Amino acid sequence: MKSNKQSLPDKNGFFGDYGGKFVPETLMYALEQLESTYNNLKDDENFKKQFYKDLSEFVGRPSPLYFAKRLTNHYGTGSIWFKREDLNHTGAHKINNTVGQILLAKHMGKKRIIAETGAGQHGVATAAVAARLGLECHIYMGAEDIQRQSPNVYRIKLLGAQIHSVDSGSATLKDALNEALRDWVTNVDDTYYIIGSVTGPHPYPMIVRDFNSVVGEELISQSQNLFNKMPDAIVACVGGGSNAMGAFYPFININETRLIGVEAGGEGVQTGEHAAPLNDGTPGVLHGALSYLMQDNSGQVKDTKSVSAGLDYPGVGPEHSWLKDSGRAEYVAVTDDEALKAFHEVSELEGIIPALETAHALAYLDVLMKEFDSNSNIIVNVSGRGDKDINTVAEIDGIKF
Amino acid sequence: MNRLTKRLTDLKKQNKKALVAYLVAGDPDIETTLQLMQLFIESGVDVIEIGVPFTDPIAEGPIIQKAHDRALAKDISLTSIFEMVQKFREIDNNTPIVLMGYLNTFLSHKNLIEENKKDSVDSILVVDIPGELNLADYGIRNQNINTISLISPTTNKDRIKSIAENSTGFVYYVTLRGVTGASNLNINEITNNIEEIKKYASVPTLAGFGIKSPEDAKLLSSCSDGVIVGSSIVKMIEENSQTKEFDRIGQYISELKQAIS
Repeated sequence: MKSNKQSLPDKNGFFGDYGGKFVPETLMYALEQLESTYNNLKDDENFKKQFYKDLSEFVGRPSPLYFAKRLTNHYGTGSIWFKREDLNHTGAHKINNTVGQILLAKHMGKKRIIAETGAGQHGVATAAVAARLGLECHIYMGAEDIQRQSPNVYRIKLLGAQIHSVDSGSATLKDALNEALRDWVTNVDDTYYIIGSVTGPHPYPMIVRDFNSVVGEELISQSQNLFNKMPDAIVACVGGGSNAMGAFYPFININETRLIGVEAGGEGVQTGEHAAPLNDGTPGVLHGALSYLMQDNSGQVKDTKSVSAGLDYPGVGPEHSWLKDSGRAEYVAVTDDEALKAFHEVSELEGIIPALETAHALAYLDVLMKEFDSNSNIIVNVSGRGDKDINTVAEIDGIKF
Repeated sequence: MNRLTKRLTDLKKQNKKALVAYLVAGDPDIETTLQLMQLFIESGVDVIEIGVPFTDPIAEGPIIQKAHDRALAKDISLTSIFEMVQKFREIDNNTPIVLMGYLNTFLSHKNLIEENKKDSVDSILVVDIPGELNLADYGIRNQNINTISLISPTTNKDRIKSIAENSTGFVYYVTLRGVTGASNLNINEITNNIEEIKKYASVPTLAGFGIKSPEDAKLLSSCSDGVIVGSSIVKMIEENSQTKEFDRIGQYISELKQAIS
């Protein structure tokens, strides 16, 4: 029997006050169909067998829990562990969710797959699973993100998917989501929309969380095996919040583990130029869910700023809003500069180039490690690898290839 | 009596179909919008639907998206729209005004809606919610403002009843799977679905989303209580916003009116 905190969302898709299904009427049928398919399949033995088989053989799970020895020495206290989602096939945690959702799409007989992407990781992960099943695949990506994540754009094309550049609004992740929703409204009969984060209308925040919870489930047994107790903290970056939610969810009732989400502070939360709705937003409705949102007094969504395309989003998954209000998780922010510093530091100390998104979680160790003694175990969810970010970082450092 | 309810009741008594015309408030500016609203009425529009601009209008096609952007560039908010409608009421106290927009903008202005000075606004239509959602549950309420729910080709039969009952202004039948201004009308499906809606709805059922010519309007008015025309008008506003000569729009609306008469 799951405890109350793990039994959410309720039947209407709410986590406390947050979540819901705020979508145009045309999509209601598709959401109901998805919800009933998922509810029928999620405990089905064959479905689970297939999901875990794919995670093992296609993704390469379980991902290791790695002791970051030199980084630990650098701080001189506690033990820092990396959950190596960067080692997954396609280079990030995003593949866990797409492997699950493509099975739902197949079961529902959908012939056409669409997805939005920010950093491109979800686009690559979606294109990969669609290719594997021979399904037509369309990826919506903001024009600005296409510029700064060009290696992933090419990867998506190599995998046989079609990229649609989105020029509207701020030409980033939020606008890619708008365009994907418009595609879905138009092609709802034959199209499956693989949302890439714990955002969007119910049942997506639940489905994406559940598929990505394999991360947290592995962490429970790995912690037991490697240091014989539960971790003192798990730190993860939060954009929409899927990597954090997947790591946090199995720990919701393990009260000795602090859950810490790190948002993109951009130029600094106090400057207003950031992508940190949990730190500096108010509840509002965007992309089908009620959640913390960066908005002005007129209810217009604000433009965001972050060096990391994957965190450059004005909203956040509704379950995070609930975890924030209930106090179960803590949400902080680090700036672009702090993230970039961590990006370099961890590359040099550990031989691991983290994604710029992950670098935000790593940067927060500067603050966090001061709060822990030498017996502590701190896990950082290394959500993805940084190969995709080398152009961005090189440009900032003034290096031309 | 609410102006919208009265207008639709009167039209029904006269066995006439309603023509609803849409524009985005503040596209290209508030003065022009007021001028266009006058033109709409002179050309035979029965109900004016005012689009409330939003940064992320997920149900709109490119034409109306761009109109939202133009209005937002002028800092148009629900506050300025209520002021505009109050101004309009000084010259016209009969034409029903429907505000069509996205939930987040209305959530941010609950007090304004509750106040509704001079009872200027008659109805609210929120695009990004399921049809049976009761706006009052979210604090968006005013006894003199009714609400319009949408029913689409994909709405399950078992939900049609509760949506129709929740709709106090009129039922808005979305004629196609798609965004505003798309073009894939399936008249058989539309006729069948509107017949089904009419079994339950105590208010009229109007059709909109893909109507972009007098021919479309004629076709759809034959199976509904009226039609809503948006993108094709907004496109003409865009094309003539430099010169501000909108005779073509007046002409087009007259043709639409003729077609449904």
